[in-house]
Amino acid sequence: MKSIWVIFQKEVLDNIRDRRTWMTGVFWSLFGPILMGAMIMLLGKTLTRALDQTLILPTAGAENAPNLVAFLQTLNIEITPAPNDPKAAVVAGDINVALIIPADYGDNFSEGKTASLQLIYDSTRQSAATDIERAKTSLEFYNTYISALRLTARGISPEVIRAVQIKKADVATPQSQALIFLSMLPYFIIFAIFNGAAPVITDATAGERERGSLEPLLINPVKRGNVALGKALAAIPFTLINLFITLAGFAAIFAILPVEKLLGIQIGFNIGTLVAVFLVCLPITLLACAVETLIASFAKTTKEAGSYLPFVSLIPSLPGIALAFLPVKPALWTMLIPTFGQQILINQFLRAEPISAINILISALATLLLTAALMFAAIKLYEGERIIRG
Amino acid sequence: MIQAHQLSKSFKAVRAVKDVSFSAPNGEITGLLGPNGAGKSTTLRMLYALLKPDSGSATVDGFDVRENPLEAQKRLGVLADARGLYPRLTSRENIRYYGRLHGMEGEALEKKMDELFALLEMREIADRKTEGFSTGEKSKVALARALVHDPQNILLDEPTNGLDVMSARAMRQFVSRLRDEGKCVVFTSHIMQEVAALCNRIVIISRGEVVANGNADELKRQTGKETLEDAFVAAIGSEEGLLR
Repeated sequence: MKSIWVIFQKEVLDNIRDRRTWMTGVFWSLFGPILMGAMIMLLGKTLTRALDQTLILPTAGAENAPNLVAFLQTLNIEITPAPNDPKAAVVAGDINVALIIPADYGDNFSEGKTASLQLIYDSTRQSAATDIERAKTSLEFYNTYISALRLTARGISPEVIRAVQIKKADVATPQSQALIFLSMLPYFIIFAIFNGAAPVITDATAGERERGSLEPLLINPVKRGNVALGKALAAIPFTLINLFITLAGFAAIFAILPVEKLLGIQIGFNIGTLVAVFLVCLPITLLACAVETLIASFAKTTKEAGSYLPFVSLIPSLPGIALAFLPVKPALWTMLIPTFGQQILINQFLRAEPISAINILISALATLLLTAALMFAAIKLYEGERIIRG
Repeated sequence: MIQAHQLSKSFKAVRAVKDVSFSAPNGEITGLLGPNGAGKSTTLRMLYALLKPDSGSATVDGFDVRENPLEAQKRLGVLADARGLYPRLTSRENIRYYGRLHGMEGEALEKKMDELFALLEMREIADRKTEGFSTGEKSKVALARALVHDPQNILLDEPTNGLDVMSARAMRQFVSRLRDEGKCVVFTSHIMQEVAALCNRIVIISRGEVVANGNADELKRQTGKETLEDAFVAAIGSEEGLLR
């Protein structure tokens, strides 16, 4: 048992001295929070710009419909002359939306025929969505308004043409977009954990073989299993530091940015959440060390190990990405999948939802079980002869 | 005391070592001599329990390397073919690591290290990080860490490889000294002069097999040659010399 401790101490010291490597690791742990902060700011801008700002609507043939133009202006819409080729301008992204009023608009309108208008926009452009929506509703509003006036003038109640009135209760508010981003937060956390372990493990296994120091090490009277365990455990402090930095980074982002004002949602990211998420992630740090030890002892060189490990950190975070688009209820089966269960739990913590203690326990147990199985396989690899030659 | 009995080892289709037997007593230097690729390192690797023999057995001070590898390893000090150090650790830290893995600790360990630093004339590099060390300096650190637990049996795999004339000479003197202290030293080399000058017994290995075994006179008699060099060539069965 003491040999595990000796190996652990040596690997930690050795890797602490490898300053450049772990500094890069620290940077990567801050990558998530920084990216998230940037996304929140950008998204917040598009969301808040919405209604209080003047919509600029480039219009061709404004002179054909002075009445419509006047109406739109009362809705805080500024009518500007359209570029020569409005379609091309929308395609190029120079303008978000353009209105074309044909020359026959006025005649048709006066005769009480349906007068057509053309609105040009690109529905796939997310950043233009609010402008497009506003232009559409404003025009529809005008349509309803004029129709109602015409009917009233003929002594008919406008309700005649309104067989059904739809009252909108849209739960998919613009804020749900913000929640999508929030759902990616567990992904960044798990990514940081795996990234913290990778350089240490690679250096301690594949790197050790490459340097030619593995063979002399294994001549010492130490059980191979203890060597594997000592090396795997040595990565844990580094994963914990990365995990802590990531969480602190997110806490800082949510504290500094006026998230509530920008996104209109509240994020429960206080010290309590921070501690809870940290604890829920502890089994993942063990899993990361085990899985990477297994792979790095299998790989012939650090280069080979380096080509596998990014995938390894990607796989457990895939459910997190899926989670962003397909919300999953915290059912029991999801807790049985290591890392997936934790991602759901983290999300629950962030939304301050009630959390079942059994779910926490089951997700931790499932993760620890897989960790034990992987570590067992790694020890078997260490006990074989292949470990020496790779 | 190390005894090898009919050791054999194959890697896939290649039979690297075939029925190698020899015995290395205490207070003597036993040289394993053979061309590159003859199976010397593979034989040593089985002795220090890194590889499991396909058949045959070996004992270190009576402990079977297969049945009881940890006990055998406790009694061995090995300068392996691979002698990589940890470049971010100092010489002392590299050696301390191995001492601690042998269960040494504290004052006794530090004292033993200081002794070795004096003996190997490496005080100046003791507290320097090993990154950028010369081959000679690296060899000293590797040797010191192999001997830190004061083993009775010492396996040296081509210890003078890559050393300059003076360092190689110092290494040979150090090896003789170990013998004089009553240690069992097994030494591999492909340089016959070195083996002839140092070793009490010589085991010539060629293509994985022991082709001759004995002291210099016995080898000359066995092969019917005047000089040791001719005896080597005759034993290996090749006029091209040892670097086949």
